[in-house]
Amino acid sequence: MYNRRIITAAAVLALSGTILMAQETIRIASPYKVTVLDPIVSAGGGNIEAYGLLYSRLMRTDKNGNLVPGLAERYEISEDGLTYTFHLRDAKFSDGTPITADDAAFSLNRAAKDENSAYPAGFAPIAEIAVLDERTLQWTLKHPSAPILANLDIFNAGIVSKDDVEERGEDAFVTNPVSSGPYMVKEWKPNDRLSLTANPNFWREGLPRVENAELIEVSDANARATMLMAGEIEVDRTVPWPQIEEINNTDGVSVKLEPSTVLYLVLPNHTRPPFDNLTVRQAATMALDRAAITKAVTLGHAEVANSTFSNALKFYDPSISMPAYDPAAARKLLEDDDLVGTEITMMITPATEQIATLLKAQWDAVGFKTTVERVDAGLWWSKMANADYDVTSSWYFNETDDPDLAIRWALCGTCGSHSYYTRYNNEEVNELTEEALREGDEEKRAGLYRRIQEITVSEIAQIPLYYTPYANGYSDRVKGLSLTPALQWTLEEAELTDG
Amino acid sequence: MKTFRFIALRLAQAIPVLLGVSLITFVLMAATPGDPIRLLVGDRASPETIAMIRDRYGLDDPILFQYFTYLKNLMVGDIGVSLRYRVPVSQLIAQHYPVTLFLVLYTIVLTLPPVIVLAVWSAKRQNGMADQIIRMMGVLGLAVPVFWLALILTRLFGVKLGWFPVSGFGDTMPGHLLHLFLPALSTMIWVVPILVRTLRSALLIEMNRDYALTGMSKGLGARQVFRTHVFPNSILPTLNLFAVIVAYLLGGSVIVETVYAVPGMGKLMIDSILARDYFVVQGATLVFALTTLLVMLAVDLLSALIDPRVTL
Amino acid sequence: MKLSPMFVTGVALVVLWCVIALVAPKLATHDPYAIDFAAILQPPGAEHWFGTDNVGRDTYSRVIFGARLALYIGLLGVIAPMLIGMTVGLVAGYFGGWIDVVAMRLVDITVPFPFFVLVLSIVAVLGPGIENYFIALALVGWVGYARLARAEALVLRRAEFVLAARTMGFSSGYILLRHVLPNSLSSIVVYLMTDVTLVILFGAALGFLGMGVSPPAAEWGVMIAEGQTYISSAWWISFFPGLAMVLIGVGFALIGDGLARMLRIER
Repeated sequence: MYNRRIITAAAVLALSGTILMAQETIRIASPYKVTVLDPIVSAGGGNIEAYGLLYSRLMRTDKNGNLVPGLAERYEISEDGLTYTFHLRDAKFSDGTPITADDAAFSLNRAAKDENSAYPAGFAPIAEIAVLDERTLQWTLKHPSAPILANLDIFNAGIVSKDDVEERGEDAFVTNPVSSGPYMVKEWKPNDRLSLTANPNFWREGLPRVENAELIEVSDANARATMLMAGEIEVDRTVPWPQIEEINNTDGVSVKLEPSTVLYLVLPNHTRPPFDNLTVRQAATMALDRAAITKAVTLGHAEVANSTFSNALKFYDPSISMPAYDPAAARKLLEDDDLVGTEITMMITPATEQIATLLKAQWDAVGFKTTVERVDAGLWWSKMANADYDVTSSWYFNETDDPDLAIRWALCGTCGSHSYYTRYNNEEVNELTEEALREGDEEKRAGLYRRIQEITVSEIAQIPLYYTPYANGYSDRVKGLSLTPALQWTLEEAELTDG
Repeated sequence: MKTFRFIALRLAQAIPVLLGVSLITFVLMAATPGDPIRLLVGDRASPETIAMIRDRYGLDDPILFQYFTYLKNLMVGDIGVSLRYRVPVSQLIAQHYPVTLFLVLYTIVLTLPPVIVLAVWSAKRQNGMADQIIRMMGVLGLAVPVFWLALILTRLFGVKLGWFPVSGFGDTMPGHLLHLFLPALSTMIWVVPILVRTLRSALLIEMNRDYALTGMSKGLGARQVFRTHVFPNSILPTLNLFAVIVAYLLGGSVIVETVYAVPGMGKLMIDSILARDYFVVQGATLVFALTTLLVMLAVDLLSALIDPRVTL
Repeated sequence: MKLSPMFVTGVALVVLWCVIALVAPKLATHDPYAIDFAAILQPPGAEHWFGTDNVGRDTYSRVIFGARLALYIGLLGVIAPMLIGMTVGLVAGYFGGWIDVVAMRLVDITVPFPFFVLVLSIVAVLGPGIENYFIALALVGWVGYARLARAEALVLRRAEFVLAARTMGFSSGYILLRHVLPNSLSSIVVYLMTDVTLVILFGAALGFLGMGVSPPAAEWGVMIAEGQTYISSAWWISFFPGLAMVLIGVGFALIGDGLARMLRIER
């Protein structure tokens, strides 16, 4: 009798729990805009975070960070590492149509070869994609690529419906996009919010656990923090360092510092004076008390950078070091080469004002004459792309923990983005980049990447400042939700509890 | 019939003004350095991709050619597509405009009671307390920076007291009213004194007119004269000022909506300027201009309705 | 003419700010630009009266030096719009005809624009900075003055002393300068005081939005923006520059209000 009562009570509880779940919504407020839902056309922060909710990929990263099969149930790799065969699982799009090898080939071809693709670098080695049958897909590569399997979980490798995209064109991503991921679009109000609801056909059974999700755009950090503390949202994407303490002191909410591959750095323009001169770069590095800067900006929440690699990347070398803080020696370097009074124009966006103030003060202290030129993000990118600047400060992250894409973005001079537009171009680094990509042996790869770090640090390709975690605020009601280093929410596995 | 012709004439006059507005906006946006496509595709895109998309949107065509293409499309009611969101500009405006309209109307509704009370009170007792209050409010309303006030108000009411949500628009009617209270309050602070001053001086003029004095000498109660004659006649100048105020409110929405994260036209405008989303800026400016012109027209018509002496 | 206490207060405030700006180096307790890693985010106290900011600079000294920029922006920013607007308005109102039509059409086009958006767009074209803000003001701000001046000129051209001067054969330029201009000045000066306040405010708003003066300048709008994310932990960074802005704005607004009353422009 007693037992049955407990069972009934448990059943009622479970039932009410489900009903409650069914109506629940996780609201995420973020300063990063969702501007476009087509996974290949943008590499912007807010978009990347939304893509993972709408489109599943062949591979998936589990909550322990391991690469596991996604829409591809299993795969085989040929001896020579050039042919990959993927067997898709039985899965459906949100509109009920099956996800076929055709769809996968179409989606990957778009990411790799479409002229609209914002970020094809990860799939450059692909020579051809063949559809063997409805559920089997085969790649051939031009040359081996160590990280290519992991690259299949990059944001733009999401599988979209070939039929739908071919029929509706761009509109397929504007009104009711067909989804292969855990969620589908309920309503999209550009410049305001993206409302999502669970995809009933999602291939991972029983997921997502939370019926609805909203990505709300709130650019003001104070507003986001207040909304979180007042229970108007469940997640605050990006808590500025000074607000962490107040949120943690509030009942029911807390800030999680989540691992990232983010690296903040100073970008010198290698094509024009004064930073084309190594002595200037050395003096500018030694002038900076990077530990104090890190502490001042992040209030102790970040680690001082020692390498041109993020410390979260594979093959990161902790033993390497940048020239140490030594203003007297920096001054001496400038005096010896008659460089005292060298004028620097530092281009900054409003987001990097604090860093700029600190850099200016420390550079001027050793004999530079720094002028700060403030531009908005639109102008910043134009000037970067045209190498029309002396020096600036920014940050970047990497989609995977493999360094290949990070180097192609930030240190390789012939890989498209001209070393993060600094125009740093060292032939040995460029060759090492290609060699390391093709190298199958982990130890040998580590050696190659160590060499890249040594060269770029000694030539001061950039001045790395610090490595930051992501700081996101969560309501205690949310369980199992985090932001991965690849900027993906683990929303499909998240739960909402009552208290 | 006369009214009809008046409306038609005014609308016809609006066309060159709107053309001028759109030309100025177009030239300004085209002259602004910075590439919208870079912001659209994110930092990792190659220069080739960017050049290709620029070409597709015709962004490298001569500016006058672009403008005429724009005008041509405008003729058939097509105000273009957002570069950033790839949705029609009309959809973005339909989504953001009601929010701003709501905020403006809400501000006006909140503004009227204190304006009338303060104006009547101070007109009846010149240089009294009410006068001093209005003067102080007027001075403060002019001097306090909205973006700073917003910071303080949200801290006080939103966090310390927890009375109001600090940003957004809300989902329901009571939600809208709560969410927009602080933005409306921030705007009221400078609108109230301006309106009070005008209404007050109009009241004073009317009170000293012959008919009012005559009415009172014939034994009508002062209160009745005030209510049936003085007050209605004083509304007119205030109403005219109102048109100007609505224009200001629309313009002011730009700052207020940005600092309170209200998803209205002002925020859309600033975001679009920063993202170089040319066609959205263009469309939003036209909507702002058109609203102002229509309000002015409406006020003129209303004046004629209230006071037959006003000829159209 | 009796001076109202409010007007006197206004004058006193503005004079006080001018003095502060002039002797800022004497009043400041610290170098307003010197960063100090050891003194980051210090609350107000004996050493730092208004506390320190996120790079250890002394907020009090920065507020004091900020007065220089605010006055510079406010006083210089209104000159060009006033001169342009007065000229256009007086000429248009006095001569009428096609000059008037052209001028008023220009005015009509600027009226439906949200003023701040127009300034912001022009600054976006020219690039951030005070000089470009001034140019934007000159392009846009003259409209208010033009409308005022035109209204005055329309009335004055029929005034007896102007008609008399004309029959005596004085040139139009002479009449405009000697008769029309001085008589329309009072309403323009009242508007000028309001305009100074607005120009300071909009300048700070630009700084706040990241399109004004470049850091590390001690500009109040920039300072408020810098303190924004610290409002919960270090309120003083934003609070004091805002307060300074209110006090300088109130000064000019009180002068305007007092002048308006003394010159009987309203009521």
